[in-house]
Amino acid sequence: MATLTIPVEQKKKGSEQEALITGAEAIAIACKLANVDVVTAYPIRPYDTVMQYISQLVADGEMDCEYIVAEGEHSQFEIVKHASACGARTFCGSSGVGWMYAMEALTVTPALRIPLVAMVGNRALDDPGAFGVEHNDALAVRDLGWMLTWVDSAQEALDTALIAYRVAEDRRIFVPLAISCDGAFLTHSQALVQIPSKEQVKKFLPAYNRGDLLLHPDNVISVAPQVNEDWVMEIRRQNFGVTEIACDVIREVYADFEKTFGRKYGNPFFEEYMTEDAEVVLLGMGTLSTPVKVAIRKMREQGKKVGFVRLRWFRPFAGKEIGKCLERFKAIGVLDRDFSFGSPDLSGVVATEVRSAMYSNSATRPPVIGFIGGLGGREVTVPDVEAATEIIFQAAKGKAQPLTQWIGLRG
Amino acid sequence: MGQLFAVEVIYRGVFQKTLAKNITRDIVLAAHNEGKLGISFGRYGDAPERNGIPAKSFAIVAKDEQTLEAGMAQYEPKQVDLTVVLDDTLCKGTESWAWYGLQPVHHALKPGHTLIVVSRDDAPGLLKNIHRREEPYKLGILKGITSFSGMWVFKDDHTDVRVLGAIAKALPELFSLESVEQFITEKLKNPLKVTSARNAYERFGTTDVKPGQGNPEELFKFTKPDWEDMRGGVSIKGQPQGGPYADPTTGKVGGFRPARNELFKKYSTRTQRPVINFSTCTKCTLCWLNCPDASFDVTPDGTYDANLAACCGCGICEEVCPVKDCVHMVNESEFHGNDSQWAAFKKDKDAYLKWLETTIEKAEPIEKRSHGFRYRGQYQEQVPEALEIAKKG
Amino acid sequence: MSTFVDEKPTQELEAFKGVKKVPHEEYYTSGHRTCQGCESAQIMKLMAKAAGPRTIVLGSTGCMYVANTSYYATPWGVPWMHTQLGSSGSSALGAAAAFRVQMRKGVMKDEPINVIAFCGDGGGADMGLGAISATMCHPDYNLLILMYDNESYANTDIQISGTSPYGVNTSFSTPGKVKRIMNHRWKKNMAPLMLVGHPTVKYVGTISTSYPLQAMNSVRKALSIGGPTFIHCLNPCPKGWDFDPVLSFELGELAVNTGIWPLYEVENGKLKLYGKTEQIANGRFKRLPVRDYLLKQGRFAHFIDEDIDYFQSKIDDMWNKWLVPGIIPLQKDIETAE
Repeated sequence: MATLTIPVEQKKKGSEQEALITGAEAIAIACKLANVDVVTAYPIRPYDTVMQYISQLVADGEMDCEYIVAEGEHSQFEIVKHASACGARTFCGSSGVGWMYAMEALTVTPALRIPLVAMVGNRALDDPGAFGVEHNDALAVRDLGWMLTWVDSAQEALDTALIAYRVAEDRRIFVPLAISCDGAFLTHSQALVQIPSKEQVKKFLPAYNRGDLLLHPDNVISVAPQVNEDWVMEIRRQNFGVTEIACDVIREVYADFEKTFGRKYGNPFFEEYMTEDAEVVLLGMGTLSTPVKVAIRKMREQGKKVGFVRLRWFRPFAGKEIGKCLERFKAIGVLDRDFSFGSPDLSGVVATEVRSAMYSNSATRPPVIGFIGGLGGREVTVPDVEAATEIIFQAAKGKAQPLTQWIGLRG
Repeated sequence: MGQLFAVEVIYRGVFQKTLAKNITRDIVLAAHNEGKLGISFGRYGDAPERNGIPAKSFAIVAKDEQTLEAGMAQYEPKQVDLTVVLDDTLCKGTESWAWYGLQPVHHALKPGHTLIVVSRDDAPGLLKNIHRREEPYKLGILKGITSFSGMWVFKDDHTDVRVLGAIAKALPELFSLESVEQFITEKLKNPLKVTSARNAYERFGTTDVKPGQGNPEELFKFTKPDWEDMRGGVSIKGQPQGGPYADPTTGKVGGFRPARNELFKKYSTRTQRPVINFSTCTKCTLCWLNCPDASFDVTPDGTYDANLAACCGCGICEEVCPVKDCVHMVNESEFHGNDSQWAAFKKDKDAYLKWLETTIEKAEPIEKRSHGFRYRGQYQEQVPEALEIAKKG
Repeated sequence: MSTFVDEKPTQELEAFKGVKKVPHEEYYTSGHRTCQGCESAQIMKLMAKAAGPRTIVLGSTGCMYVANTSYYATPWGVPWMHTQLGSSGSSALGAAAAFRVQMRKGVMKDEPINVIAFCGDGGGADMGLGAISATMCHPDYNLLILMYDNESYANTDIQISGTSPYGVNTSFSTPGKVKRIMNHRWKKNMAPLMLVGHPTVKYVGTISTSYPLQAMNSVRKALSIGGPTFIHCLNPCPKGWDFDPVLSFELGELAVNTGIWPLYEVENGKLKLYGKTEQIANGRFKRLPVRDYLLKQGRFAHFIDEDIDYFQSKIDDMWNKWLVPGIIPLQKDIETAE
């Protein structure tokens, strides 16, 4: 049973309130602040505490929405898809194979230009059964037109949820967006979060306006008639048009976020940590950032010039920016909390995408080593990070390294 | 690169599905007897086929693999060496899923090549329907009734082998009669069919169609929009409401004409159309109520006019109408154009009723609606009759 | 306190008092690529006409999606949206929820809007059964799920579904040299499933396109009564069943007159039988032999007497042995434990 916010102290920071809450609860609160209309729930760990929190908010009258418990994830996402088509702001979520069970619904939502906002509590795909974090669930939709972002703190989860509604519901975008929160470390760990006021959110987030796509008796349209090879290319081209401007919209929204709430994220697409004079750099997504930063500070004390890039937005993938950022380093180590069996060089998804981005956008060709670790919730430890860093230092010196290596593995 | 042959078979969806498939397969196998290679396929965009909606099947044949490749991985060949039309009402043009607007039957036919039509009509009769074009071609008629069967039961009335015989005559470079006979003997194992093929070959002849000769009708077209002009979210505008309309003679406004889909009209699906006696109509509403295609305009008089741009000729209206001969299905080959019958009735009632009577009388019978399965064993009875008609040539 | 259901008002759609009182407006018009004589299209037309303009329709994948809106065209005069094959239940729920909350929050005009989701037998009895069942349990949402049953997955060129008749020929149940009967399943009882399995559902009905007035009035009743409702329509399919379209009406009637397809509705727990079904139930009409129905269709052309007799025996059981004939397959004698 989820317990609700226990305000630690009333901070007079704008009109914000501080609380000790999990990433899941932070997102629940964001939904409340965003005046979400329809929420569908289905139990699967570790995302589903967000739905437990929302249930309490609804029962206590703090949130006014239709709260429907579906009989499966496919229905869960179909319900909000059609609710959104009829003009409702929606929230949904899942984890692991639950997300996969919804896959048919997830697949068609981008083409229909439906701005769902979903939380993925990243979890291993089981079998083999495990509740711990693995990123393959959210990554499975990466080609389909979903926007994907990874957060690493409860604060970032709350902020990003508000940003998500603003970005997704921008008429130029109008595609679904999933916020990934690492299972356990983010979904179940309580941290201090500044909660904005309803007034601030109202200033930042306009109402969801579906315009001439709204399904309502006053607007006689047919949505998604059967098409054939004469139409599909053009329809997909429209989604491609979204990706062409998605980065610009994200930048606009983050700038406005900073203005409204005073919290500065800087570059929306990735966070740079101690990269100014780094020789080599590590790159990853999600809560592995914490052990990485601890390791980097330790290595810096030893005189090793290493930095860290934490990728926030996976889709759209800011290839130009990433390429330009990474070209100055002598070697790059990408930490993948996912797998992509049979990929080029057998690397994980993020490493493969980074290499691709650099091929087109970097002036140099430093070695990019892919590290696979942390699967199924295994902790990424400081020694793991140090070992990986040692490998990329060797690569930087010109000593050839296997392009994919497993860290934290027994054997 | 060697010569690539493409043959298309235009047919009524579902009713002639097995027949068309058999013909295109048989073409490949007959040509193979002369050492040629080939593929046969139905047009993917026509599937799933629906009763009566025009569809196409193809056979692509070449002397060698490399030449054959030029005809593969396509939905349909852009140009064909020969077109076979299995139901002569298709000569009015086809509107199928894989084409937007109305397409003339010879659209893909190379200039100077042959169009074979299974029909009991003659060339001048057919040319009232076949649209004119700028290039000349040859028109050949394979005498016979339209061979219809259902989804699960096939009427084996030799139409398939007779078509092969005609093709051998029209396009000897594709295959010879000997190859056809060899195929029938070895694969179909039916000596009677060998005779049918040979007879068809011997009787088959063509007339030359000159440029500009044929039906002058303007075909309705549809231009596909660019991606920037398409509405977002895979959405399109729905249908507006219809409304009352004016009596063409008195100008009195009333009744109800529903809005109709501009992009897909469906009338080329018809093999028969309802002719209506507006003077005996009791306005019971049943034809209008039970038409799955909402084809009936409610006239200002309160009678019901089958809108012939929309009607697809299913015949349910005739079946449910309680008044004898008020709605009568008549073979579509009797008619040209889709003008409103009610408008004609209002203009000159007596002339219309006279026309109605003579039309019903002289029209070709609809063969007991031979598509579909009325009772078990139905086709066994129909095949001998079909063969008789074919024998008369 | 026992009814904590928060229902919103529905439209008050009175029954049409006769065919001449049926309005002319069409909310499902021509230009769809359905077969000649498609009875599934016919029920779409009747359903839309019965519902009227303050309606939205969610259409799950099937013939009534692909054939109706093929080639980026549409016959729908009310807002329509495609939904996935197994999503008739979930899509209706989502739409109803969206209207409800927006009206409550005052951002949408508060008025009763008909929400109808249709499914074929494939999408409803098979893949989407779970979603429909879940939706039937939500008493707060007004919606109708209409299942048009042509006894096959018709759009994929005819394959067996959960409601296909025993022994039928389809492309997944082809009679061959060794096996004549490939489909051993008996037709699923969908309407009773919805009725008995979901005790708060207020309206469940079975209809037929051979009885268009009753069909339309059933739709109107379902849309007026409140809460989730379910209608099962039997639609003779000239292509898949292999018959001449002029037989559509006759076959619809024969299905009823042989007792194969009982016509009834249950309104707030009260059962009402219609037409010949009522006469069969109280002995005033003798059921026609199923042979008359089966042999008019090419899909049963491979049946031999043994198959027809078996079919007949099942229908006989349905009427002679069931607790509620055609509806509840419990034996009439109920045992009580000592």
